Amino acid sequence: MNKSIPHDSAIKHVSGESVYIDDMLVNAQLLHGRVVYSKHAHARVLSIELSAAKALPGVLSVLYSADIPGHNQMGPVIHDEPCLAVDQVHCVGQALVLIAAVSEEIAIQAEALIKIEYEELPAILDIRSAIEQNSFLAPPRFMKRGDADAALKTAMHVIKGEIETGAQEHWYLETQTCLCIPGEDKEITAYSSTQHPSETQAIIAEVLGIAKNEVVVEIRRMGGAFGGKETQANWIAAWCALLCQATKRPVKIRLFRDDDQIITGKRHPYLIKYEVGFDECGKISALKFEQNADGGYATDLSMAILERAMLHADSSYFIPNMHVTGRACRTNLPSNTAFRGFGGPQGMAGMETVIDRIARFLKKDGAEIRKLNFYGTETNNITHYGQEVELNRLHILYDQLMASSDYLERRKSVNTFNAKHEFYKKGIALTPVKFGISFTTSFLNQAGALVNIYKDGTVLVNHGGTEMGQGLNTKILQIAAAELGISTSFIKVNATNTSKVPNTSATAASAGTDLNGMAVKVAIDILKGRIAEVMASEFSKKSTGEPSLAADLVFSDDVITDSKYPDRNIAFADAMPLVHFNQVSLSAAGFYRTPDIGWDKATGWGKPFNYFAFGMCVSEVLVDTLTGFHKNLRTDILHDVGDSINPGLDIGQVEGGYIQGVGWCTTEEVKWNANGHLLNHSPDTYKIPSVQDIPADFRTHLLQSAPNPRAIRKSKAVAEPPLMLAFATWLAIKDAVSAVGNHAFEPEFKLPATNEVILLSIEGLRKKTKS
Amino acid sequence: MQDTISFVLDGKIQRLDFKGAYTPTTTVLNYLRAGLSHKGVKEGCAEGDCGACTVVIADLDGANKLRYQAWDSCLIFLPMIHGKQLITVENLKHKMNGIEALHPVQENMVNCNGSQCGYCTPGIVMSLFALYKTEARPTHASIEDALTGNLCRCTGYKPIIEAAAKACVHDGRDQFTDQEQDIIHLLLEIRADEKPVSVHTGAQSYFQPLTRTQALESRNKKQEAILISGASDIALRVTKRHEILSEIIDLSHVEEFKQFSTENNRMTFGAGMSLEDVRKHAKNLLPALYDALSVFGSRQIRSVATLGGNLGSASPIGDTLPVLMAYDASITLESVQGERTVNINNFILGYRKTDRKPHELITRVSIPKPRKQTLLKFYKVSKRKDLDISTVSAGFSLALDEDKVKSITLAYGGMAALTKRASAAEAFLTGKKWERRVVEQAMELIIQDFTPISDARSGAVFRSLAAKNLLLKFWSETAAAVSSPFSDSDGTG
Repeated sequence: MNKSIPHDSAIKHVSGESVYIDDMLVNAQLLHGRVVYSKHAHARVLSIELSAAKALPGVLSVLYSADIPGHNQMGPVIHDEPCLAVDQVHCVGQALVLIAAVSEEIAIQAEALIKIEYEELPAILDIRSAIEQNSFLAPPRFMKRGDADAALKTAMHVIKGEIETGAQEHWYLETQTCLCIPGEDKEITAYSSTQHPSETQAIIAEVLGIAKNEVVVEIRRMGGAFGGKETQANWIAAWCALLCQATKRPVKIRLFRDDDQIITGKRHPYLIKYEVGFDECGKISALKFEQNADGGYATDLSMAILERAMLHADSSYFIPNMHVTGRACRTNLPSNTAFRGFGGPQGMAGMETVIDRIARFLKKDGAEIRKLNFYGTETNNITHYGQEVELNRLHILYDQLMASSDYLERRKSVNTFNAKHEFYKKGIALTPVKFGISFTTSFLNQAGALVNIYKDGTVLVNHGGTEMGQGLNTKILQIAAAELGISTSFIKVNATNTSKVPNTSATAASAGTDLNGMAVKVAIDILKGRIAEVMASEFSKKSTGEPSLAADLVFSDDVITDSKYPDRNIAFADAMPLVHFNQVSLSAAGFYRTPDIGWDKATGWGKPFNYFAFGMCVSEVLVDTLTGFHKNLRTDILHDVGDSINPGLDIGQVEGGYIQGVGWCTTEEVKWNANGHLLNHSPDTYKIPSVQDIPADFRTHLLQSAPNPRAIRKSKAVAEPPLMLAFATWLAIKDAVSAVGNHAFEPEFKLPATNEVILLSIEGLRKKTKS
Repeated sequence: MQDTISFVLDGKIQRLDFKGAYTPTTTVLNYLRAGLSHKGVKEGCAEGDCGACTVVIADLDGANKLRYQAWDSCLIFLPMIHGKQLITVENLKHKMNGIEALHPVQENMVNCNGSQCGYCTPGIVMSLFALYKTEARPTHASIEDALTGNLCRCTGYKPIIEAAAKACVHDGRDQFTDQEQDIIHLLLEIRADEKPVSVHTGAQSYFQPLTRTQALESRNKKQEAILISGASDIALRVTKRHEILSEIIDLSHVEEFKQFSTENNRMTFGAGMSLEDVRKHAKNLLPALYDALSVFGSRQIRSVATLGGNLGSASPIGDTLPVLMAYDASITLESVQGERTVNINNFILGYRKTDRKPHELITRVSIPKPRKQTLLKFYKVSKRKDLDISTVSAGFSLALDEDKVKSITLAYGGMAALTKRASAAEAFLTGKKWERRVVEQAMELIIQDFTPISDARSGAVFRSLAAKNLLLKFWSETAAAVSSPFSDSDGTG
C-alpha cells in the first residue's frame, strides 16, 4: 500500500493487448453505424428524403426521429436534447439520421444519398450575442457574502475589466465508441466508452422504450475521456442501440475524429467581468464577478459546471465581500459539457486575472499579492459560500515552493534579462490551486461495489467507477489488497458493468477513488467479518484453551492469523473453501456515501465539499516578441494528494493535468466561422501539446506528510486540480508580454494565449509605448 | 507485371492480392485492424497528426542492411510496403528462455509509468522502437524529435522521455537483431521478382514502377494519374474525404529518384528522397533547409514525404518552398522526351499550380552552394512549434556589399494563394544600407505584395504582422547579431 506500482494495464498497454471497444472481436454480422448531422447552426428541417439511402445494397437500416420507439430525448439533467432532431436543428453537428450498413464505406455512400432540406434561421454563435438577445439556458445564479457594492465604494483602488476563456476540445485519443449486441426479448448489451455507465443504461432504455433491467452497459477501459464521455458518450450509445434494436444485429459506432470534434461539446468558453476593490498593499476588500458561460444549444451539465465555476471564483483567496453572478448562455453551438475541472478552471482564471491586475497596478510581484490574500488557517478561512477551508495547505506549499523554485532570485534574473533584450522577453509567475472535492449535487456522492471471493482464494472486485487511464482500477486493486491483507496477484478488478453494481454516479469530480475505494472497503469489511467468524470458530474447534475471537483475527501477508494465538493461522486461499463449507457467503456488496456535506443551492451557502485539494506552481517562459512564440523554460510544481496511494500514478496525473491545462492556456484554440461551423475539427488545426511543448526543466513533487483524514487511506483526489496549475504558465507569458511595455501598461490578454494573442498584445503595447 | 504485393509480417512473407477485401488504397492501418492479431495499432486521427497508428518499417538499404523507420500506418497504402518488413507492437514481446519478455522500450515504458489510458501507447512504443534500433544513447533533442509525431493526452510526456533514455542503451541489440539475416533473406526473395506491381481492380489502377524509364513511360501514358511517393498528402483524400482514387502512379520504389550528389558547387537531391534523408544531407551544407525540415511534420511524416511531392503539391504554405526560393533552387523535370530545368521562382504559378506539364515528373532539385557571405535563414510561425503547418513561413537570403544590400530574396509562405516573394520590399532594399531604419520602412512594403486570409490557423492581421516582424528578426540576426536565446535546434529562430 502507498507505493508506486505500475498501472494495472501497463503491460497490456505497451504490448497492444489492451482491448478497447473498437478492438473487440464481434461476429461477421457486425454492422457499422453512422450518424448524419446538421450542416446548419440553426434551421428548420423541411424534409428528409431517405429512400435512396435505404435502397443501397449493404444498408440495413436508416432511421430518423419518427423511428424512435421510446422517448426522443437524451438530456442527462434537463430533457432538452432530442436524440435525433425533429423539425429544427440548433447547431452544426446535431444528429438527424442514423445509418447501419455492412461497412463504413457503404454507410458513407448511403449518407451521400440522403437529402435534407433546410430553411436557415438566425443563429447565436457567441456569448456577447446571447447576452444581447437574452438567450439563456436558465435563470442566473447568485452567491454572496458581505456587501461588495458598499465595500467597493470605500475601497482605496478599484479595477474593472473582463477576461475571456476559450473552449477546449477533449481530444481523448479514443473517439466516442459504442458496440451494441442484441440479446433475447428486448435485451441489449452496450459496450460503451462511457464515464457514466448507469446513465448510459438509463438513456438507452428511455430511447428504446424498454426497462433498465433489459439493458446492460459495460466498459473495461476508455482511451481517455477527461469529462467528454460523462454525458455525451450517451449519445453514441443511444444511436448505436437504436440501430441495434432496428436490425437485431450487433452494431458499432466509432466516430471519425473530425465528426467527434464537430458533434460533441467542449469545455465552456466564459466571458467573466469583474470589479475589485483593494488597498495600497493589494489586500482585496470587495469583488464582484459576473460569469457568463457558453452552454451551447442544450443544458447538458452546464448549470452544474456554472455552479462549480462560481464556487471557484475565489481561487485560493479570502475576500470579505464577494458577489458572484453566473449565467449560462444558450447559443447555436454543440452543447458544451464536462471537461477536467468542470468550470473550476474558468472560475479560477477570473480570480487569477484579478490578482495579476492588482499586482501590475501596484507594481508589485503577483506572488506577494497572492500570499497576502490567501485563506488563513485560523481566521479569514471561510469561503464566499460559507465553507471553512480546513487543513489549509496554501501557506506550506507557498513557503516550500518559493524556496525550492528560487522564485525571488529568478524574478531578478528575469528582469535583468528583459533589460538586456529588445526582441526576447522572459516572464515568471506563481499560482495556487485550491479545488473542492465532491459532486456539488450532493446526492451524487455515493458509490457501490460488489466483491466476490472464489473458493480458490482469488478475488473479483466490481465497483461503479470507470477506468479512463487515471489508474482508478490500480488504486482499487491496491486498496483491496491492503484491506484483505493479500497480494495483488490474487485480485482482479473487473470491467465496470451495470448488472454488477447498479445506480452508480459518473466517474467524475475527481472522486472516483474516494467514493469507489470506500465502497470496496465497506464490502471487504463485511467479508472479513464473515470470514473471521467462520475462522475463529474453526480455530477454536481445533485447539485447546481459550476459543479464538473473530475480533482478534488479522488479515495480513496472505494469511489469516489470530493475533492472540499466532500459531492459529491459515493461508487466505486455504480458508475460503472452509468458509464456503460453512454455508457463509463470499460475496458482498458495499455502499458508501460521503458524510457531513450539503448545501443550499438557492442561497449558495453551506458545505458542498468533503475537503479541498491544493497545489502550487511556478513557471518561467521565454517569448519571442517578433513572432509570439513562447517556450516553457522551467516549471516547478508542488501538489497535495494527501498520503498518496500510488505516487507514480499521482505524479502522472499531476504532470498530465498540468500539461492539459497548458494546452488550454496556450495552443488549443477552438474557432467557429460566421455560420457556426467548427474550423478546428482535426489535429491538423487543433493543437494539443506535443512532446516539445513541455517545460525544458520540469520538476514535480508531491507535498509530503500531509495526510487527509477525510478520504480512503488518508489520500486525496488528484485528477482535476492539477490542470489549474497551468495558470502559472499562462500568467508568466503575460508577464513576458508586459515586459515589452516595461510593465507600464496593462496588456490585452486572453485565454488561450496563442501566438496570435501574444503578438497582437505586444503590438498594442509597442504602439502605446511609442505614443 | 505482378498484380500481388508481398511483405514480411510476423516473420513470414505475406502475399496479398486485391481481389477480395483490400483495394490498392487500403491503408496499412485498416489492413492490420481488419485482421485478428494486430489490433494494437490504433486510429487516432487518420491524418498522420497523432501517431497512434505508428508501425515500424524495416527496409533494405543500398548495402542490403535493414533500416528501421517509424511510419504512420494510417497514411500508407498497402502497395507502398511491398518488399519491406512491417513490424507492429505485437511483434515486440518475445520469448526469452521460454518466458515471455518485454522489449526494453516496453519494459521501460511500464516502469516509468509511460502509459495512462494506453491508447497512444502502441504508437509511442513503436516510435521508441525505431529510435532504439537507430540511435544508441540518443540525445534529449533526438528523443523529442522521435516522439514529435506521437500525441499523448494523459501523461505530459515526461515519463515517456525518461523511458526512451533508459531503454536506448543497448546499441539497438534485441531479438530482431538475431532474426535480421532471415528477414533480409525473405526481403531479397521478394525483390528477386523484378516485375513492377501493377494492380487493376474494377474501380482503380495502381502502378508502381521500379525504374526511371518505367516511371517516365507510365507517366506519358497516364497523364491524369495521381502521382504519389510517400502519399502523406494524397492519402488524406482517402482517409478524410473518402474519395476513390481511380488511377495512381506510385514512385516510391524508384531508387533512381532517391540519389543525392554534390558537384560543381551544386547539391542535387533526387525528388524521391524522403525529407528525413534530405534533412540529414542538409545538416551541414544547407542549414536553413535543415532548420525548415526540422520543424516539418514529424519523423513519421518526413520518413515518407518527399521533396518532389512537397514541390508538386505547390501548397500556398509549402514549408520547403520559401526556403528553396531563398536558396535559388532549380527543379529538373523529366519526360520521355527529355528533361528541362526550371528555376523555383518560376516554377510555382498559382494556387496549387506549377509549371510541370502533365507528362512530366519532378525528378531532381538542385541547390547552388551558397556563397560564404550570403546570409540565409528560414523562419516558421505556427501555433505549435512542431507538427503544425505554418501560419506564415519565410525563406530569406541576403548578400551584402559592405553595409549595403547587394541582393535580397524575401520569400513567404502562408501569405497568399501561393508562396511568393515580397517584390516591393526586395526592390526597396536593394542598394540601400542594411540598417534598422531602412528595414522598418521595408516592413511596411511587405504587405503590399500579399493578401493574407483569416482561417483556422490565424487572422489576417496576425499574418501581416508576423510577416513584417520576420524581416526585422532577419535584420536583427544578421546586422545586429542578436542571437536567439531559444535552443538552436528550434528552427524558429
